[in-house]
Amino acid sequence: MIGIKRVHDPERNAAVYVSGELSRRATHWFEAHLLDCDDCWREVALGRAGKRLAEDALEPAPAGLRDRLRALVRLSGTSLTD
Amino acid sequence: MFGHDRDEEFLRATMGAVDLVYALARRMVDRPEDAQDLVQETYLAALRAWRDHRRPRKVEPWLATICLNLGRSRFRASARRPTEVPLERIDRADPAQDPEERALDAVRRDELVAAMWRLPQEQRVALTLVDLGGFTTAEAARAMGTPRGTVLSRVHRGRRALAVELSREQGQAREGRTR
Repeated sequence: MIGIKRVHDPERNAAVYVSGELSRRATHWFEAHLLDCDDCWREVALGRAGKRLAEDALEPAPAGLRDRLRALVRLSGTSLTD
Repeated sequence: MFGHDRDEEFLRATMGAVDLVYALARRMVDRPEDAQDLVQETYLAALRAWRDHRRPRKVEPWLATICLNLGRSRFRASARRPTEVPLERIDRADPAQDPEERALDAVRRDELVAAMWRLPQEQRVALTLVDLGGFTTAEAARAMGTPRGTVLSRVHRGRRALAVELSREQGQAREGRTR
């Protein structure tokens, strides 16, 4: 958990806030600030929406990749360290 | 510890990270087959280190760092090619869902994956580590070998670009439907 720079940097502040990395104290300060600052409010809204989208963009590993990795490890014996 | 036990221990420790490593590889190279090759190379390099008694404190950041380093050095040429929009469709359809909704959902997901591909590679990788991998921005910075401030900026710009682009496309889709 980290604090927040009290300089006005909407991009950085939104990034740490949306990532949930602010200390409790910094969160309180920033949330109070958000109510008065259109720039930070807009960046946080976009950051939240983008984070949800990024989470939705997961392409799961193809079926069979895990089996291939297991086989690779088991078949490689000790040859890798020879 | 015998070699067999050591390798099984490696598999138990690392198999939970396959989706993350694949997602990362997938965002560094444009062809799914190349991404699978990169995952295999990552696991072999990790196994080699494991057999050499180099054990990480946390497995995911360790594998991600190996994958990023291998991806940068071996797939640099392919990563520099103009980005092709990947055509594989992610099939996570819910059978109870209305067919029209399901079709829209599939289109939206394709748009989302395409939008992700239009981001600069550093933003794509940073988003994958932080928003998919659950890395802290400090962990992502270590894995990417960049200052934390740079990661914060890449993560936020990537999120913002996705949000802006997808809301624009959805707006156009809504207009199209009501016409």
